[in-house]
Amino acid sequence: MRRRLALLALGLFAAAQAAAALLDFTPEEKRAIARHGPWPPPRAQDPGNAQSGWPAAVALGQRLFFDARLSPEGRVACASCHLPALAFADGRARSMGLAELDRNAPSLWNAVHERWQAWDGAADSLWSQSIRPLLDVREMGSNAAHVQATIAGDRDLACRYEKAFARRPMAADAETTMVDAAKAIGAFVATLVSPRTLFDEFRDALARGDRRAAARYPLAAQRGLRLFVGRGNCALCHIGPRFSNGEFADTGLPFFSRPGQVDSGRHGGIEALRASPYNLLSRWADGGDATTSRHVMPQHRNFGEFKVPSLRHVAQTAPYMHDGQLATLDDVARHYSDLNPERLHADGEQILRPLGLADGERADLVAFLQTLSPRGGPAWRAPAQRPCR
Amino acid sequence: MKALWVVCMTLVVAPAIAAPCGEHLDAKARRQIDGDGLSLNYAPRPSPIPADRNFELAIAVCGAPVTALRVDADMPAHRHGMNYRATVQATGDGRYAAQGLLFHMPGRWRLIFDVDTGGKTVRLTQEVEVR
Repeated sequence: MRRRLALLALGLFAAAQAAAALLDFTPEEKRAIARHGPWPPPRAQDPGNAQSGWPAAVALGQRLFFDARLSPEGRVACASCHLPALAFADGRARSMGLAELDRNAPSLWNAVHERWQAWDGAADSLWSQSIRPLLDVREMGSNAAHVQATIAGDRDLACRYEKAFARRPMAADAETTMVDAAKAIGAFVATLVSPRTLFDEFRDALARGDRRAAARYPLAAQRGLRLFVGRGNCALCHIGPRFSNGEFADTGLPFFSRPGQVDSGRHGGIEALRASPYNLLSRWADGGDATTSRHVMPQHRNFGEFKVPSLRHVAQTAPYMHDGQLATLDDVARHYSDLNPERLHADGEQILRPLGLADGERADLVAFLQTLSPRGGPAWRAPAQRPCR
Repeated sequence: MKALWVVCMTLVVAPAIAAPCGEHLDAKARRQIDGDGLSLNYAPRPSPIPADRNFELAIAVCGAPVTALRVDADMPAHRHGMNYRATVQATGDGRYAAQGLLFHMPGRWRLIFDVDTGGKTVRLTQEVEVR
């Protein structure tokens, strides 16, 4: 009897602890939190890429992604700047291809769900984005003929190409083979959808009213999440399951890429998109919805705007912002806390205001952001590939 | 004689008045704005308008001949507009289709319809809450 009473007391104590470990989120807060899920989202395809989703193309794309021979000097691959161990980013303030670039490599996790690729959104598909670093003299410095010759000259790559595209690499002109290679890379990148996180468990538990499961989410993260969807107004741009609206913003950071040299950000991105022979409106696109590419409109305020990044995996992608100006997540929180509105170049737009966060609030925000990365080991392991026959 | 004239006029005018504007639009999604003798009905697709996704508007304008229609939107509280320029296609009988709209954040947006009619432009607006 005494033992039963003790167990009952213990149970009541545990229940009280669980209740105490869950903030009293309001119905409005719960709705706001629920909008950051569910995860994973429905499967998506690389737009304008008929190869997206085909295992043969994915396998070829994976091989090409890690193959530095696509660069004529043989030392830069896609994976040189998009390292799986660093959430497919590179951990540098500014990426290093054949030369140092003006921006860093964004994470490729969930890139298939993005409307625009890269910090300036200059590409409207994964395959189109894959062509940019291939041809950029500062990145891989390659060309169509070299890409074609590399694939044709390697027995395994040539075999995989033939399986994916039903023709030999040299059967078409070099540009066609290069675009094919880019579509294979796009098909591979489209498979990178990140695993669930501690936040996802909390979000789902809260949505189904499971207080005990929800209470497993650290209190500091709960307080940070409350700030995120509430006073911080972060969820205005970092919306939805990916924590990004996929658009562009000026966050009051200097956008000089070099002394006297301005990085025009989104403005240049729209110009590059329109000039690209490989956008979704081009003859190279295999159909696909090109509505946003057709209707995107350059505006003066696009100068100095950069992509609102997804916050999934954010704890693994330091340093932050397009050129790594902020070293840590605490620096990011401090930036928005102490933001100088005078430094915004937003043509009167009124979204960002200094948040005035206390030290503890910044720590809470960081604690929340840290729960947006998967726990445990590496989120991606290279699938085993048999030699192609 | 006068009575006959009135009857004839009623027969001519009545259908124009009685015919509801935009009755072909999805009734659940349909919204109406009236102003300057115009009645504009629109229905978004998808409905309700989502944040961060493309949507279209099916539109009907009644009350006066329309020479052109332009569609735009902004967030008055934030002082910014869309990042996209909508295109409008006339499909006949005062009907239009607007494409390429995208509200890139949640909050209160204002749909703006500029209707060219009778040598002037009538601006009709309506606010919508996007979640």
